[in-house]
Amino acid sequence: MLEINSLTTSFGSVVALDGVSMSVQESKITTVIGANGAGKSTLLRTISGLEHPAKGSITWDGKSIIGWKPEDVVRAGIAHVPEGHAVISELSVEENINMGSLFRRRVNKKDVAAALEETYHLFPRLQERRKQLAGTLSGGERQMLAISRALVSRPKLLLLDEPSLGLAPLVVEQIIDCVNTLCRSTGLTVLLVEQNANTALGVADHGVLLALGKVVADRPAAELKADSSLRAAYLGY
Amino acid sequence: MRDVSSSLKNPSIIRRSLRRTILFVLFILVLGSTFEPYNQAQLAVVLIYFIAVLSVTILTGISGQISLGQGALMAVGGYSTALLMTNYQLSLWLAVPASIVGAGIAGALLGIAAARLSGPYLAGTTLVIALAIPTIANRFMSVFKGDEGLSVDVGYPPAWFTKAFGEPTYEAWQLYVVLPFAAIALFFASNLLLSRTGRMWRSIRDHETAAALTGVNFSRQKIYAFIVASIFAGLSGALYGLRGLVGPSVYPVALSLTLLTAAVLGGIRSIAGAFIGTVIVVFLPDWIDLVLKNFKLSEQVSNFMPALISSLLLILTVVINPAGVAGARHRKH
Amino acid sequence: MDTFLAALFSGTSRGAIYALVALGLVIVWRGAGVVNFAQMGQAMFSTYIASALIQNGNSYWVGFFVALFAGSILGALLDILIMRPLSNKKKTELLSSESMRAAVPVIASLGILGALQALAGIIWAAEERGFPAPAPQEGFSVASSIMPFTSFDLFVISIVAATLVMTTLFFKRTGVGLAMRATALNQEVARLSGIRTNFTRALSWAISGAASSLAGLLITPTSNLSPNTLDLVLIIGFTAAVVGGLDSPAGAVLGGFILGLVISFVTFYLSPEDVFISILGVLLVVLIVKPRGILGGKDARRV
Repeated sequence: MLEINSLTTSFGSVVALDGVSMSVQESKITTVIGANGAGKSTLLRTISGLEHPAKGSITWDGKSIIGWKPEDVVRAGIAHVPEGHAVISELSVEENINMGSLFRRRVNKKDVAAALEETYHLFPRLQERRKQLAGTLSGGERQMLAISRALVSRPKLLLLDEPSLGLAPLVVEQIIDCVNTLCRSTGLTVLLVEQNANTALGVADHGVLLALGKVVADRPAAELKADSSLRAAYLGY
Repeated sequence: MRDVSSSLKNPSIIRRSLRRTILFVLFILVLGSTFEPYNQAQLAVVLIYFIAVLSVTILTGISGQISLGQGALMAVGGYSTALLMTNYQLSLWLAVPASIVGAGIAGALLGIAAARLSGPYLAGTTLVIALAIPTIANRFMSVFKGDEGLSVDVGYPPAWFTKAFGEPTYEAWQLYVVLPFAAIALFFASNLLLSRTGRMWRSIRDHETAAALTGVNFSRQKIYAFIVASIFAGLSGALYGLRGLVGPSVYPVALSLTLLTAAVLGGIRSIAGAFIGTVIVVFLPDWIDLVLKNFKLSEQVSNFMPALISSLLLILTVVINPAGVAGARHRKH
Repeated sequence: MDTFLAALFSGTSRGAIYALVALGLVIVWRGAGVVNFAQMGQAMFSTYIASALIQNGNSYWVGFFVALFAGSILGALLDILIMRPLSNKKKTELLSSESMRAAVPVIASLGILGALQALAGIIWAAEERGFPAPAPQEGFSVASSIMPFTSFDLFVISIVAATLVMTTLFFKRTGVGLAMRATALNQEVARLSGIRTNFTRALSWAISGAASSLAGLLITPTSNLSPNTLDLVLIIGFTAAVVGGLDSPAGAVLGGFILGLVISFVTFYLSPEDVFISILGVLLVVLIVKPRGILGGKDARRV
């Protein structure tokens, strides 16, 4: 449902993405792995309109979304959870979640309330702390909050950038499990960017390996996980 | 101030700055000799403003601190000179350099406070300083003579000058008095911008964190930048007062804002930009008047037309190219 | 005692107006990252519109509401026509440093201020004119002694209080208010949540325009109206915002009242000539203790 073709994004003279082509299948988890600086985050940021590519195409549901503003990309059903548990610390937990559904308020008020209930059901800890400022949450709770904010926009595709960054293994597992369940039960499509290749390939259906802005492997996740020579060459273990 | 003086030891930088300065002086002398007295006085104002705009270039363009109060430091220079000249009968050639020290000390005090403040907080503080400092003149009437101010001027050329070059007009003499100071200011500014110190200040401006990691004590460097900029402003203010009067009305808040406008308009990161911006700010009203003479306008309209047009030009310049008129070529700074 | 009460009341009503001005500045600073020096120029312009309407025989309240409306439209237009194109240049190298990002819009707003003042001079001439107050400006007389405050003071204080309550409710309780707060705090996260930040930016300019127009309408009955009369009000309002903390609307209001009272007490007990030096003193003391203002939060600068 998302098709990316020879996408190139650069910052000044630094080329972060160098002709990347890949696709994301509906209701599947696709993961993009690679070392630090491979261009993984830039890929997500280019899809969601935060960065402007120099070349290439991104097609979503048959439409080109190149040049769209981030707010229009979300409205078209692609929700991006950026790196670093991006929540707004000065707002309360519930305000952070509500932010993601503001644009749907006028269209479908009932569903906005339902979506909020669903995320509270998914992450009961957030409901307990709904009046607290987001800045007072732990790292794991913030990541849950950032995901919740994305989910209430009722996305068809969820872009997750390094959800495991700086979190304890147990918390990572919990969050990845949640995403996995969500995908399998509701048919949500997920594009997961991870440095932690093992965890990511464990849940994903399909894996893409990026190195220095280029795709070096694009295969079913299990196959990629089994290829020890690729791992040794690009991920260093 | 070891870091600042170290730049003077690099001979190739000195040669470059010296070349620039000599060319500049020749250019002004040739230009001045072709001008009518009115325009010669205008040219003197350009040189005076140029020195003050250089202080904005150093402070904001190079070191990244925004000041809306350079006019207050000009007032410090102006009052120091005027007091030294009227109370101690000092010649202006001694009074002006002495008053620069005063401005430097005021700048050091200000700079210590400024190093703690970020962007708009510093802008706010300096703006209030620009507003408050001139009111001190009314507080200590006996010294500063209140709104009336102190009258000082450039006097008459010495005998050897008239013997060698003939009797200049008063306006031309104003220009000749200002020119050596402007040349010295230009030389120092050019040295500073080319030197290691200038590079260091720019690196603090762009990457405060990285500069701190490489061992630059950035708040001390910011204070140095403030002192240097204050010295420039003080010099400019002293010369500005020598046009006839030192008083609160000579150094209004609008003066500080004009300086920042000139610096941004020309290009805030280069000396050429400072000069171009100054020329525009000083001469633009006259140029607009010249054009408007061709139209029949009522008095109410013609009074405000120059201000309207120059404001619109200012907005346009900033929106089209925030780097200023001379900005595009000097991106690398 | 009478002097004290008089200073207190005039300080509170002046402070209420400065609070409005400071609030307008803070809303645009948070919402768009611009210190808007044109703000009181906009207010001056809309007050002239009210003045012209009233002189042509309309009631005070027609002028009042048209001015608020005109102020908000003018604010939004300035953002859309000038500040938005300017902020789209952020990618250029010059605007990559923090100081330039703050300085260049300041220059643009100074240009706007100059243009509005010149335009007002062309349309309405530069002579000072009076501006009516909707309530008497003489002291109340209770039991044949004249009280040290006027019904206009009371009008000012109550209308500002009502405005502050409404603004707070708007920001805390409505979806648009949440969108504006989110944009102010973290533009990237806001955009990724589907918030149209171009719209919220323009809206913050509009709200700020209306707030400062209200300040203009409330201050001109005591100061008269000319293209330049509100310059000083802007500087004091800016100082109030800096004292209270530019990042905090509540701080702006607090700073406004502090400055109003300081100015009033200095005027009554010392002399009007000491006002600016006192303001500078207050500002320096506050910033030495808290470099980002009273309610401005922690120093966000790294290292």
